Amino acid sequence: MAARDGDVALWLHNKLGSTDDLWSGSSICSQLSREKLLSIQECFHNLQPYVKVKLMLAFLHVPKRNIEEWKVELEEILQMAQEDSDQWVAMVGDILKTYPSAGTLNTDVEHRHSFYHEVVADLRKLVRKCHDISMLPMECPYLGRAALMSVAGQQSQPVKHFALQRKPKSAALRAELLQKSSEAALNMKKN
Amino acid sequence: IKLISDAGYQGEITSVSTACHQIEVFTPVLRTSISTFLEGGEEAIDKNIPEFTKMVCHGEHTYLYSQLLMHSLAVETKGGSNMRRLCQEVHKSARSKYVLINGRGLDVTPITLALSGAAAYPRACQSLASMLSRNALNPADVTVLYKLYMTADPPLVDMIRSPQFLEMFESMLFKPGVKLNPEHKPKYVYLLAYASCVVETWRKGQRKAINKDELKATIQAIERAHNLCSENKGSSELIADVGTLFSCLKFPVAAMGILKWVDYTVSDASYFKLNTDHTPLHLVLLDEISSNHPLLHQKVLNLLMRLFESSFDELDVLVQLELKKTVLDRTVHLLSRGCILPVITYMKDCWQKQDTDISLIRYFVLDVIAPPYTHDFVQLFLPLIENEDITGSLRTNEEDDPISEFISHCRTNYIMVA
Repeated sequence: MAARDGDVALWLHNKLGSTDDLWSGSSICSQLSREKLLSIQECFHNLQPYVKVKLMLAFLHVPKRNIEEWKVELEEILQMAQEDSDQWVAMVGDILKTYPSAGTLNTDVEHRHSFYHEVVADLRKLVRKCHDISMLPMECPYLGRAALMSVAGQQSQPVKHFALQRKPKSAALRAELLQKSSEAALNMKKN
Repeated sequence: IKLISDAGYQGEITSVSTACHQIEVFTPVLRTSISTFLEGGEEAIDKNIPEFTKMVCHGEHTYLYSQLLMHSLAVETKGGSNMRRLCQEVHKSARSKYVLINGRGLDVTPITLALSGAAAYPRACQSLASMLSRNALNPADVTVLYKLYMTADPPLVDMIRSPQFLEMFESMLFKPGVKLNPEHKPKYVYLLAYASCVVETWRKGQRKAINKDELKATIQAIERAHNLCSENKGSSELIADVGTLFSCLKFPVAAMGILKWVDYTVSDASYFKLNTDHTPLHLVLLDEISSNHPLLHQKVLNLLMRLFESSFDELDVLVQLELKKTVLDRTVHLLSRGCILPVITYMKDCWQKQDTDISLIRYFVLDVIAPPYTHDFVQLFLPLIENEDITGSLRTNEEDDPISEFISHCRTNYIMVA
């Protein structure tokens, strides 16, 4: 068993050991199996922190049916991660702990990580204070009035930088076009 | 590094990999960056988003962590929408990060869906995952979603209200030349309309009501607009349909689609070569979009700027100049509808870069405005008006012309900041 665990540790190191590409977790998905996960449990403590992190992130790319099948093994690894001395490993383990059973991320991480709690509390105050700085969500230009209101609240009136002395040329152009359009529509009916 | 961070000097930690190495260093740096956006708004986004996304997308773990943190702030009722925008900006950058290297962006869909609450609707979640990961719609998954959103207890509207999803539907329905099976078309139209106008009422974390009051009219508007845009008619054939197009344009989602279609149409190399009207129909549609939708002003302006900067080499020089004046008329229209500082800033940039024919800037000098002016407007506009090269020929010795009057009014009533 020990030799096989060593093989798995080496395999993980070869696959995920590079610090140049920190998005490569998903590359091991197709080679995961229940047996592999059991072996990983055995050697998890000896892995490099970034290998542990990338391994856990690979879980996000595993097909749903496999997640259900390997739920227990995955949760075991995530549990070990939460107790890891490396803060990144512990945090990623904590965020992913609900993923195998519910498919969601655990947003309730504040009480276990004081640095996170402090920063989120500070920023929450700032978010409320700066509520009138309008960085509108990108879907807003598509939304009808009621939907826009529900997403971004009441929109402030644009600043009036000057008074309009008279209408621009575009107003006459619009009227002319509508006139031409109704004539064309009438002609089409006649024909 | 941690000592520097603890002492509050996050700004000194300039290397991304240094900042990302320890989570206890990364978190305060993230806080400093987010604060900059919350305090600076759109301007800060324009200026700082590339650097910010570079840090957040350093690794999948930094992305996951940052999105989780921002997501927990985006749910705030007061001010949360600002954070939602930030989440979306980072998501968009991540998707495009490696486009130039290996042809596709980072696959962040699993993280996006796991954060969105989509897991409570596994069938919808699966269909969404397949389309969002590939960034392409397909009839089978659209059919699944259509059926689910037709039921009395549909999945959450937010699941299909993502910018990426809306953009895919708009492209499917309004990009010239895209062939859509007529049998499936109503499903695409329904889902796009649903995403754009349905409102859910929530109380204590429970969805209490789904308001679909605007759904029917929105479906009709998208359908009519799609039919007109996909018929491949020329401007003269479309004249009779202007009334219909104008009524469709009242709906933001249809206006976005028509804007996309206009963009593709006028970007065709032969469009202005073949068009003999002084102001082609498609450009008049831009005026109507500007009149109806302040939120689309910047998108219209972006298109106009692109047209203004195009060389149109195949056209006669005088025709080119006339065309640019026509484009400028559209920006004057935008100005009259409230899109003021972005338009003036652009014209000022054109003048400062010295790559624009001076007669065009002169043409732009307005006779439609009257006081009272705001300080910001005068700061931007007065230097343009005062410039002899631009307005010299429009002034009289008696200083009774509108240009001299404007200058005198501003000099008397405003203090200019150098």
